[in-house]
Amino acid sequence: MAKLPLPAEQIINEFGPHLHFPDPEGTSGRDEPDKIVETHCCFCGMQCGIKLLAKNNKVVGFEPWMEFPFNEGRLCPKGVQRYLQDNHPDRLTSPLINIPGKGYVPTSWDAAMEKTVAEIRRIQETYGHDAFAVLSGVSLSNEKSYMMGKFARVALKTKNLDYNGRLCMVSAGAGNKKAFGLDRTSNNYSDLAHAEVIIVTGANVSETFPTLTYWLWQARDNGAKIIVVDPREIPLARTADIHLDIRPGTDSALFGAILNYMVQHDLLDHEFIDNYTSGFDETIATVKDYTLAWAEEVTGAKKEKIEDAAKLWGKASTSFLLHARGIEHHTKGVENVLSCINIVLASGRIGRPYCGYGTITGQGNGQGGREHGHKCDQLPGNRDIENPEHRKYISDVWGIDEKDLPGKGLTAYEIIDAIHRDEIKGLISICFNPLVSLPNNNYVRAALEKLEFYVGIDFFMSETMRHCDVILPGSLHEEEEGTVTTAEGRVVRIRKVVDPPAGARADSEIIMEIARRLGVGDKFSYPDSEAIFNELRIASKGGTADYYGITYEKIEKNMGIFWPCPELDHPGTPRLWEDRKFKTADGKAHFNPVKYHPSMDPTDAEYPVILTTGRVVSQYLSGTQTRRIGKLVKQFAQPFLEIHPVLAKTLGIGQHEDVRVVTKRGDAIFPANIVETIREDTVFLPYHWPGKKSANQLTSAFLDPISKIPEFKVSACKLIPTGNHSYIGNDALDYQSI
Amino acid sequence: MLKPVDLKAFLIASTATLLTLLMILIGSRRLQNFDAALIAYLFGTLFAVFGIVYRYTVWIQRPPTRVYFVSSLKTLFSKDGLNFVGYTLKDFLLNIIFQRFIIRRSKYRGLAHLFMAIGCFLAFCITIPLTFGWIHFTLVPDSGMDPAAPKIYTAHFFGFDVMSFPVKSIIGFLTFGALNWCSILVIIGATYFLQRRLKEPGLIATQTFEGDILPLLLLILVSLTGLGLTLDYEFMHGKAYEFMAVTHAFFVIVFLVWMPFGKFFHIIQRPAQIGAHIYKEVGRKQGMQQCKFTHKEYTTKLHVADLKKITKEMGFNLENKDGESILDYSPEGKRDLLAIAHFKARKQSGDFFG
Amino acid sequence: MAEYYKLQEEFFVDMQRCIGCKACEAACAECETNGQESMIHVNYVDRSTTIQTTVQVCMHCEDPVCANVCPADAITKDEFGVVHTANTSRCIGCSNCVMACPFGVPKKIEEYDLMMKCNMCYDRTSVGKKPMCATVCPSGALFYGTREEIQAKRPNSTPINTFLFGEETVKTKVNLMMPKGSTELRVL
Repeated sequence: MAKLPLPAEQIINEFGPHLHFPDPEGTSGRDEPDKIVETHCCFCGMQCGIKLLAKNNKVVGFEPWMEFPFNEGRLCPKGVQRYLQDNHPDRLTSPLINIPGKGYVPTSWDAAMEKTVAEIRRIQETYGHDAFAVLSGVSLSNEKSYMMGKFARVALKTKNLDYNGRLCMVSAGAGNKKAFGLDRTSNNYSDLAHAEVIIVTGANVSETFPTLTYWLWQARDNGAKIIVVDPREIPLARTADIHLDIRPGTDSALFGAILNYMVQHDLLDHEFIDNYTSGFDETIATVKDYTLAWAEEVTGAKKEKIEDAAKLWGKASTSFLLHARGIEHHTKGVENVLSCINIVLASGRIGRPYCGYGTITGQGNGQGGREHGHKCDQLPGNRDIENPEHRKYISDVWGIDEKDLPGKGLTAYEIIDAIHRDEIKGLISICFNPLVSLPNNNYVRAALEKLEFYVGIDFFMSETMRHCDVILPGSLHEEEEGTVTTAEGRVVRIRKVVDPPAGARADSEIIMEIARRLGVGDKFSYPDSEAIFNELRIASKGGTADYYGITYEKIEKNMGIFWPCPELDHPGTPRLWEDRKFKTADGKAHFNPVKYHPSMDPTDAEYPVILTTGRVVSQYLSGTQTRRIGKLVKQFAQPFLEIHPVLAKTLGIGQHEDVRVVTKRGDAIFPANIVETIREDTVFLPYHWPGKKSANQLTSAFLDPISKIPEFKVSACKLIPTGNHSYIGNDALDYQSI
Repeated sequence: MLKPVDLKAFLIASTATLLTLLMILIGSRRLQNFDAALIAYLFGTLFAVFGIVYRYTVWIQRPPTRVYFVSSLKTLFSKDGLNFVGYTLKDFLLNIIFQRFIIRRSKYRGLAHLFMAIGCFLAFCITIPLTFGWIHFTLVPDSGMDPAAPKIYTAHFFGFDVMSFPVKSIIGFLTFGALNWCSILVIIGATYFLQRRLKEPGLIATQTFEGDILPLLLLILVSLTGLGLTLDYEFMHGKAYEFMAVTHAFFVIVFLVWMPFGKFFHIIQRPAQIGAHIYKEVGRKQGMQQCKFTHKEYTTKLHVADLKKITKEMGFNLENKDGESILDYSPEGKRDLLAIAHFKARKQSGDFFG
Repeated sequence: MAEYYKLQEEFFVDMQRCIGCKACEAACAECETNGQESMIHVNYVDRSTTIQTTVQVCMHCEDPVCANVCPADAITKDEFGVVHTANTSRCIGCSNCVMACPFGVPKKIEEYDLMMKCNMCYDRTSVGKKPMCATVCPSGALFYGTREEIQAKRPNSTPINTFLFGEETVKTKVNLMMPKGSTELRVL
């Protein structure tokens, strides 16, 4: 029974989160490190280059890696302090067994493995193979992602494998596959620097991908006009040429209206549309009534501004459109993505220098992880698990009978539902903290508590790991060799800088050991990470995400290779579609009709305010790592409810007053931060925190019908001022001089 | 660059030096008790007295320093002064004697500095009166006659007998060994700082040889040669006495002569910290200044008023024609003003970038 | 090979590019000369109305007000024009510099009774490296390089180093990127 063995406070006491600060006297060994290793940041999809310094098998600091072409030494505050996750007092260094009333008790690797394997066997023999599910994460390298996919299908023989990318960019992936037949941002980001017009929609770039800001600013230095679509005045919007402050959940109305405007004013690339696309007529028929006035009414953005944006976009000769979770975290996430792609295709500006489109992948290996590993409907190389040819090819690579390869399984949130339905009884998770990151997380907690057996692999005791029956201490980004595919589609090398601390093991070793004990050791006998990668290369060969021509040596020599790279002498593909040969069945790019419809949790008289969620710059996702790094926590110690002064006044809410936020899922209290930089009908909460401060207690689990992404970005809520002021500002510290 | 001689400071320094000479004459009973072997030390000390007083006088005449100096004196001699006696004593104890502010920067550094400070201070207390002939010791003749009898010394201060004690007693041990103990403390402290300065990149980048390394070396050399005298006397039967005496004297005199110019002057300056603290306390009682932009308190009204005067005296006019001064803004407020001015300029140009 | 201070490289600031991420603050604390204290300032200008943040390094004035108002002669300017942080043995923690600096730069560390300020990453610049803050800044709000480099990157901006505070003209070593043709910026 996957319940907390002790009250959470006691587990926190022992396993954290505790804050790790650098030694004020300086980290010993930083000045004369044994080695300086060129690797990458462990956090977001930018995967910035960074040099880690190590001394006596300990990471002691960092130096900027000026030569790496994407970030040229630039880093965000998370990157600067990433090294503090090493030598962290919270690090798990022994397998742990959950003993109710006693807590997590250290045990031997052998005992932990034995128990794990016995439980897997028992559950699968009792309830069938699919009753044991796998939840994986895309902080894992390509090698580990690939291995997790193979582990689930070959060792556990379960179809129920999914990953936390399901909360990330699956809407974009599904949309891109529909439109282009391939799921990757179309250009590398250096093309941004010379684009004439750039639309950034639903992407708080400067807080979530800070180093990408540089490329946008460079574009502006070169004269680019920038259009930002966001309900908040985000740092990017402050100086933007046009800021469309639309109501959350109305993205497809906006882009539909822009498409209609382009059609009405003939701001179209007919040559491109006629020769290289399909579905245009049906698509524009859908939006023929989407006038600017209608769009103003739906989105709440002024029609003059929408018109200016449509004109700028329509008339540009080069352009880039970037989006991220803001348009994807919706029950119509895929539609929103398609509405963006429609205006890109109508402009014909793709597959040329400085013309591009793409989603900004959020997680470190969100791109590579979804291509090769642990997506419930996908096989390596972005292959389809239901396509007989694809199944045959991968079964051959894995040396199994195609009949034994499980089919399409449940997606991440559906796995939670299936636990509630008693269809899933056992779970193994790695690098996934659903108790913080999934919506309506009280429901998620109840699911975890229902499990008969839950084993987790992680390097820290995340909130979710507190529910494990067995915990296997795994490894950090810098403790294993590997590769990662950045948001640009650039495959880069992750270097092992240090060994895992005594007692912990490399993630891949743990997976191989479980596989061996499950009797399929012969299929998991990789001598090193490169051997896994070489198998991945073959597995991806011929797929859309073809890595065959990429080798460790080649990556190192070129500081990254862009996939597809089908041959050893192929240089890689930084810019897609220059040949206009799309990967769809008919070889054309597809327009897709998108009709606007409201979100699933609309506001009403009882819940009149829109709640939307997002991130802050100093925290990363569920915060398992960043809530343990002292200065990052200090930078933004707790979530605030951003609220407009007009709304605050109407409700009688004062600055920093505690406000009870209530949705149909639950309620929680946050101090108000009254700012004019948000729409009057919308409030905002960052979601990085657990427990009582968790924004995801309030969000809904309505899923996009295609991508199955939850609708994090729109929840109807009501706000009740409490009259309390629990927040004690640090104003007193502002003027230390007296 | 040679600065013109400050006549006022010259006169005060000369007077101080003459006064010291006078005290030496009185204290040594017209040089009757003066140890001629220490003559070189005497001249070094006199030079140091002159230099220190001269520099100190010049220093406290600078507008910013004068403000603190005058304010502290005024406060201590005002009606309110009694209230500050306790504060001053406590502050002196915590920050000058125990050097709490250094210990807070780092325990090791604090301790090492305390060792050096105690060592130096005690050594001054012993050597200066000795050099000036204010203290001298005589062997009680009776005890010196019989080689087997314990030797008893008498200490004289300003020519008056203070006390007598056997050499082989605790007091004797401490009295005659005191300088050795001082040396050891100084060596421990200075070595700690020296190794930091040789090792830490941050210090290596910013230090200078004459400003940071030389003072430490000098302290160590003075202490080592001083210990050398004892070692020579105890174990080498004075065979190296000449050499040790000369080298020790040399380093001590360099130390003394350099005192008014180099790093060691901070010993003299440091008590000004107390003045700064008193100044804050006085200001706090008079009221706090609110930033014109952030509307938060940032320093005392007294401080802002004085800084306006000081900056003017130093040749800066930070006021505009309406009499508004940049000093009416807190540090954060000033940064905001600059950002707003910059924003306006960028906005007016029609482009934030480019 | 010994590396020295590169006089041809200069500091260029443009706070309108700042995104308030505080990477510079985190990086500054990594500088060896200030022992995990951050010397750079990032703050919201007026959070209730705008997301605007500003970033401020020491401007390294030609005639530093801070050094002039220091009662303890603790602040000095070196031959490269770098105005150094307070000499720890001299600084008496009076905060004159903190309150007098027209740019609001020096920082009083109350616990240490000591003023500390940016010394342009002297441990790095003195050996020919770039300051940590400008190296990591992900927005280009802080840039360290040659005049030619910045001109090529931002041809429509002019670096200025003259600031007007009331009747006073303050010239600095650090430059501010302004609209093309600007010569100065009036702050008050």
